[in-house]
Formats: sequence, structure tokens, C-alpha cells
Amino acid sequence: MSQSRSPAATEAGRDNAPRADTAISLRGLHQAFGPDAVALDGVDLDIPAGSFFTLLGPSGCGKTSLLRVIAGLDSPDAGTLSIGGRDVTRTAAHKRNVNTVFQSYALFGHLDVAANIGFGLRMQGHDRATIKKRVAETAAFIQIDNLLGRRIDQLSGGQRQRVALARALVNEPDVLLLDEPLSALDAGLRATLQLELLRIQRRLGMTFVFVTHDQDEAMVMSDTVAVLNQGRIEQVGAPAALYERPANPFVARFMGHSNLFAIRAQDAEGLTADFGRLAGDFRPGSHVLLRPEVMHIRPADAPAAGGQGPNVIRAQVRERLYRGSRMEYTVAAGETTLVAVDDNRGQGMYDIGAEVALAVEQSGVVTLDG
Amino acid sequence: MRVIWYAVLVMLYAPLAVVVLYSFNSVNSSAEFVDVSLRWYRALFADDSILSAAWNSAVLALVSSVIATAVGTAMGYGLYAHRDRRLGWLIALIYLPIIMPDIVYGIAQLSFFSRLASATGAFDLGLGTMIIAHVSFQAPFVALLVYSRLVGLDPRLFDACSDLYAGAWQRARFFILPTLQPAIVAGFFLALTLSIDDFVISYFTSGPESVTLPIFIWSAIKRGVSPEINAIATLMIGTVFAAAAITLAFQYVRARRIAS
Amino acid sequence: MAKARARTGGWSAIWHLLGLVAPGVIWIVVFLVAPAAYLMTIAFMTNGSYGLPEMPLTLAAFKQLAGYGFLGWSPANLYVVGRTLAQTVLATAAVILIAYPVAFYISRAPARLRPLMLLLVVVPSWTNQVIRAIGWMNILAPGTPMADLAAALGFISPHLGLYPSQFAVALGLVYNFLPFMVLPLYAVFERLDTAQIDAARDLGAGTWDAFRHGVLPQTLPGLAAGTVLVAIPAFGMYVIPELLGGGKNLMLGSLVARQFAAASNWPFGAAAALIMIVATLVGLMVLRRLGRRLGGDSGVML
Repeated sequence: MSQSRSPAATEAGRDNAPRADTAISLRGLHQAFGPDAVALDGVDLDIPAGSFFTLLGPSGCGKTSLLRVIAGLDSPDAGTLSIGGRDVTRTAAHKRNVNTVFQSYALFGHLDVAANIGFGLRMQGHDRATIKKRVAETAAFIQIDNLLGRRIDQLSGGQRQRVALARALVNEPDVLLLDEPLSALDAGLRATLQLELLRIQRRLGMTFVFVTHDQDEAMVMSDTVAVLNQGRIEQVGAPAALYERPANPFVARFMGHSNLFAIRAQDAEGLTADFGRLAGDFRPGSHVLLRPEVMHIRPADAPAAGGQGPNVIRAQVRERLYRGSRMEYTVAAGETTLVAVDDNRGQGMYDIGAEVALAVEQSGVVTLDG
Repeated sequence: MRVIWYAVLVMLYAPLAVVVLYSFNSVNSSAEFVDVSLRWYRALFADDSILSAAWNSAVLALVSSVIATAVGTAMGYGLYAHRDRRLGWLIALIYLPIIMPDIVYGIAQLSFFSRLASATGAFDLGLGTMIIAHVSFQAPFVALLVYSRLVGLDPRLFDACSDLYAGAWQRARFFILPTLQPAIVAGFFLALTLSIDDFVISYFTSGPESVTLPIFIWSAIKRGVSPEINAIATLMIGTVFAAAAITLAFQYVRARRIAS
Repeated sequence: MAKARARTGGWSAIWHLLGLVAPGVIWIVVFLVAPAAYLMTIAFMTNGSYGLPEMPLTLAAFKQLAGYGFLGWSPANLYVVGRTLAQTVLATAAVILIAYPVAFYISRAPARLRPLMLLLVVVPSWTNQVIRAIGWMNILAPGTPMADLAAALGFISPHLGLYPSQFAVALGLVYNFLPFMVLPLYAVFERLDTAQIDAARDLGAGTWDAFRHGVLPQTLPGLAAGTVLVAIPAFGMYVIPELLGGGKNLMLGSLVARQFAAASNWPFGAAAALIMIVATLVGLMVLRRLGRRLGGDSGVML
């Protein structure tokens, strides 16, 4: 706990140095707030050292509960938790070298910015000079050195966010926990701070555990994402893996996929559904996913439409959404509704009611395990 | 609407103004004002029983408010820190003194303390029993004030303390007490006004040696209003107005600090 | 999202709770609950020599309260109860009528002035209630301009003051409790959703209908809270009827008090006090239920 790496020193000296000594390992974590309120239902997870790790899931999925267990603010009913190889399951929050950036920031209103940032150092018993020096270094690193004398109620949302971050980072924790830290900010500021958080994490090489319900945010920022649902981990992987090869329908839907079908029967060449035929090897009971961006939409009578072969779906446009860089069509194929995306290259749009053909690239047909 | 507002202001302050006015009357009459005179004030400061009543009032208000602030703050924090438990009994206990008619309150304590005094020899009616009685109705108000301040806080602040290495005592010293300070100060002043405003409970729990200003005035009225009473009342009104002016000044200074 | 910290630790948490609340709890139990319980037992005891309670247990005090005395039945005590109820209702209604526009007026004033205006309303109640009563005694006494005016208009016979009288008691109650109605009403007016008034107007409501549908429902929680704060203590009021009402306009509080002072009949006084507590609790429960049905939130509601 007594490393003297200041953020500034790390920045100068060992950029990107992964720290093998700090990994979080969770085994069989259970936590319930009553028979009908199971927050964590057997969570096993290894969080790689020095990575930007995201817990993703809908509200109530247990991601914040998990974060609070790691911080020590709640204790699990069963299971073990070790940080940096040391079992800290029964260690009190204030004795863990883990710091949190809270969703509401939880800045102390009775203290100014400098005293907020220095709070943790003061509680650890550092002397005034050390506190002052390290607060100044961290404030400079986060670029809030001009705010040090302000009161909290004089800060904007973005400034509060930075102060909360500085207040956690100044303690040089083994792990930084971030509980939806950007959710209270407007879209523009949010994008800026996403990049900034990422830059800080890369420079410090610190393990960041980030909680969000926003899959775009998770994909942009993370090295690894764990998708949680009802207190269980559904899938762990890199953002691309989750999007392109979701393990089950829940993950697929949560990553934004809507063209998802249960497979009931198949034949030798592939699958016949009421919307057409798909080539491939499908197992009954599993799900198939059509990625909208690899379904090429054509006029029904165009020569390139591919006739009646497999992986061509005849459909009728029901709705269209103009999204600037692309167009999103909701089409009806038989009884089934599909979503297809078309890049906007100035080719004009299909009218509602137009007959179209969707040519599905084989790479866009994904079979799910579950 | 404006007319009603000014009419209400007149109604609120006329009785107090009349008291102040007649305290300077040179004759003993509430019908006519003859001449300005300090005669009643001179009489007042010459009267030892009035001075001792003033002293008793001050001791009662200050001592009971200090005790009530300490007891009430702890109770309010306990209520908050354990608000997930079933604390209906505690809430009922806190509201009981607030809703109990003060006359019932007074006679209950009168009968209880006098029985206790004849049984044990302690708890003779006097300043001690008055302080006890005052604390028992002041503390719940302080507790509610402290509790409502705590409920208004982001509960994550308590987590942030633990997260930032503060143990229980450090959390109390560096977060809870400084954060509660305005509520504790407000609670103290509320306790003070409650004590000053009370007559009934003091009256029934007082003994012959512990006459306070309101009790003195009460028994004087029972003998017929004298301008001397107006003079005492004027001094008490003056004290309250000074307190009000200080309160207002604080509010505006704070508002300006926040605005800057 | 994070569930409340629902789990409540073990013994150390219970010691923490007890350590914090014990001083207050013990204080209130020993010095308030115990005396109140003792008072209730007195109500069922026999009136002994010097008015002090003795054994055996009896219901004599309650019979006396209902009007059965040595001289047969008399309605005097029931009149006192009826008068107390009437004064309470009258004073509460008058306080509402005055406080409502005042609270609205303050809530529409420039934000800078509002703390000052609220303080102006509250400051008189910081003085002692006996002093406030003296003020009215000075104003309403015989020979004062107010009394002369009332006499000239024929309300009272000349050379009589406006006090002691029922009117003086009512005035004193209104004066005493006005701030307790203004504050909760101000709290609801300050948060008034004016879009609802616009919506009512937009849907063709006139001034009265706009008020009835756009404003009144929103202020009911404040009204309920204010009524609790005014009616409950007004019912138990002692000082004002005693000073401004004189002997003929006795309220329940005075009836109780007299049994512990001059008349000295503790069991009878305790029985009357018991009735008072019961009436207060019933009134409180009715008002709370009303308040909850009217959508009162716990922030304003006691």
C-alpha cells in the first residue's frame, strides 16, 4: 500500500506498464437482500490487471451490487473476493486500497475542492505537506488545478466529475471503481470525458472497473466487458466478441441486435423460415442472428437481387428511419419483422410499402450457443 | 392580497407594539398614554424577585437547550443510521411529546415529580425538574431537525467516507459533525425558542424558588396588569427581535456567499 | 438501482443504535411516558383529603366529568368540552382563511424578500405566549380605542372591555397559531406546479374553477399539516382562555389545570386530561388519514 507512484511520475516513467500485482478475482459471490431480491447469484470473474474492465447490464442486474462488494461497502453472503492475490472478503471498506467514483459523485459539501481531493490522504494520516503536494499533482494531471479553492456548489457537472475522479486517483488505489460516472452528463461532455477517462487509464496503467448500462459506452471504452443479468454473468469478452458473437439472446439483444430467431427445424443445406432460406449449419434449440449491417437491401426487381437463392429475403418496407450517415429500415418478410441498415451514399430511400430483397452475407449469419 | 398581507402584519405586531408603548407610559393605564417615562424600568431593576426570575429563565433556557441538543442530535442520527429497521416505536416516542397537549404534559410531570419527591426525597419541584421537563419536549424537535437534514443528504456520502479510508470515528469527526453543524445550530436555537415560549410546562413543574419571567408575569397578571409587566415584556420582546435580526443577517450573508 | 442497505448487521449494530438513542429514549420514557402513565392511573383513583389521589380504584372521576355531582346532574362540564371544540374549529377555520392568502402572497414575492417575510410572520411566536396575551389585554381593555369603537358600534355595552370574552379568546388563538398554518402552506405554494393552473385555464376554467382544480388540490397536504399544527394544540390551549377568556369562558385546559391548583381534585383533573389525550389522538388520526387520502407526502405531513 505504500507505493509512491504519483500520477505524474507514472505519466513520465512507465506508460502503459501493466501491473501484474493487481488483479481482482471473484469466486462464487452470492448476495441477497431478501428472498425476492437476489443481487448476485454466483458470480465468478477474473479482472485482468491494468485493464479497462466494464460491467454492463440493465438496471437491477447486480452490476452496482458487484461494484459495492468489490469496494467493501457491502459484504457478500457467500463467496470470496481477492484483490492483488490477497483475500479481502472480510476486510472493511476503509482498509481496502480501492477507490470509487460514485454516480452522484458524493463530494463533501462542507469541504472545498482541495480538501475533497485530499480527504483520503488525510484519513490515512499523511502530513499536510504531502497532502498538499499530491493534491496539486493530481489536480494538475486531471486539469482542475484552477478549481482547488472552489466550493462544491460552485462547480458544473463536468467539473464535479473530474473532482470525484481526482479524489479517488490521488490515493493511487490498486483498483479504481467507477459507478456510471458519466450518466448525469449531457451527450457532448460525456463523449469528451469518455475519451479522457480512457486516456487516464492508459497513462496510469491502473485497473479500472467501470459500470454502465449503455452498451455504446461499454464498447467504446473497454478492454473487456462482462454482461450481467439477474445477478449472473452472461458473457465476458472483448467488445467485438460480444457484438459479433453474442453467447445468447440476452447478450445479443442487449448489444442492440433485433434480428434474432429461435431455430426449430433445419435440413441438410440450411434453414427454412417463413421469410426464406439461410445456408449454414444450425442446431435446433439455438438462436440465429442476422446482423443488420450485412444485409444488403436492393429493389426486388434488381438483377443483383439474387433471385430465389438462399440468403435472399423478399420483404416489404414498413418503416424507415433517417439517421444521417445511414438509413434504418423495418421490413416485413412473411410473418417476420427484420431490421436492415443501408449506408447513406446519396442513393435515395425506399418508400414505405416498397418491395425489396435483402441479400444476407454469410458472415452476418451468427449462430448463438444458447 | 397585498392589503391582507399588511393587515396581517399590523395584527401580528400591534399587540407587541402596544406592550412596548405602554411600558414607557408614566401612568398605570392601558387606556391613555400620558407621558414618556422610564419609571417602570427603574422599578423593574430595583426588584430582586424580577432579576432572579430573569436569571432563572436564562439558566432554564440555556441548560435545557444544551442538553436537548446533545440528546436530540444523537437520537436523530440513530434514527437515520438505522432507518432500515422497524423503528416505529422510536418514532412514536419522538412524536409523543410533540403532540401531547402541554397542559397534560405539565400536570403529568407535576403529579409524577411530587409523588417521586415524597417517595425518594429527590426531584423536588424546582429549576431541576423544569430543566428535565423542557429537555423532554425540546429533544424530539432537535432529533427531527437533524434527521431531516440527514435524509436530505446523498447516502453515497457515507460510502465515500469508508471508501476514502475513514473509520467510524473519523467519519463522525470529519464528515457527519461538520455536515450536521447547521442543523445542530438550528436545533439549539429551536430548543431555545421552545423553552422561551413555554409557560404551561414550566408553571406546573416549577417550585417556589424557581420562578421564571413568564411565571412572574402570570402571577402579576392574576393580580391585575401593571406597566411593570409591560416593561419586562418589552425587554423580552427586544431580546427576541435582536435574535431575529441576527438570524436574518446570517441568512443574507450566506445567500450572498453562495451567490458570489 | 442499488437496493437499500437492507441487511442490518448483528449485535454491534444494535449496540450502535442503542448507544445513540438510549439517552433520548430513557429521558422521554422516564420523564414523559411514566408520568403520563401515572396520571392515567390517578384518573381511576379516589379523591382523598387535600385533593390528592388515594386507593381504592373507582370511576368516580369520570362520573363527575360527565356531570354527576353531589347536586345531581349538571351539563357544565359538557359545556366546557363543547366550547373547547367550538373554539378549536372556529379558530382553525379563521387561521386557514387568513393564512391561505398570506402564504400565497409570500410565495409570489421576489425570492430575495421571502426569508424576511417569513421571518416577520414567525418572530412574534418566538416571544412567550403570556406576553402575546398581555398585548391583546392592553388592546382590548376597557377604554382603549378598540373597545370604544366596539362600544360605539353597539357590539358591547360602554365601559366594558372587549376582554374577557369569547371573542378575545378566539382572537388570541388565531394570533397564536397563524404562523403554524402559514409555514406549511408556504411550503406547498412554493412548489406549486403552475402548469396545472394554465391547463385548467386552457380547458376553459374560470378563476374559481382554475383555483378549485388547479391550485386547491395541490395545497391540501399543506392545509392538512397546518390543521394538525393548529387544531391539536388549540384544543389543549390553557394560557389564552385563562388570560383572555375569564372565568365564564373556561376551556378544557383550564378545567384540568384548576384541579391541580385551586380546586385540588387530582383524579378529576386526571380524568379530564385523559379525555383530552384521547381526543387529541383521535383528532390526529382523523387528520392523518385525511391528509394521506389527499395525497399528503411525509415531507409536509407530521
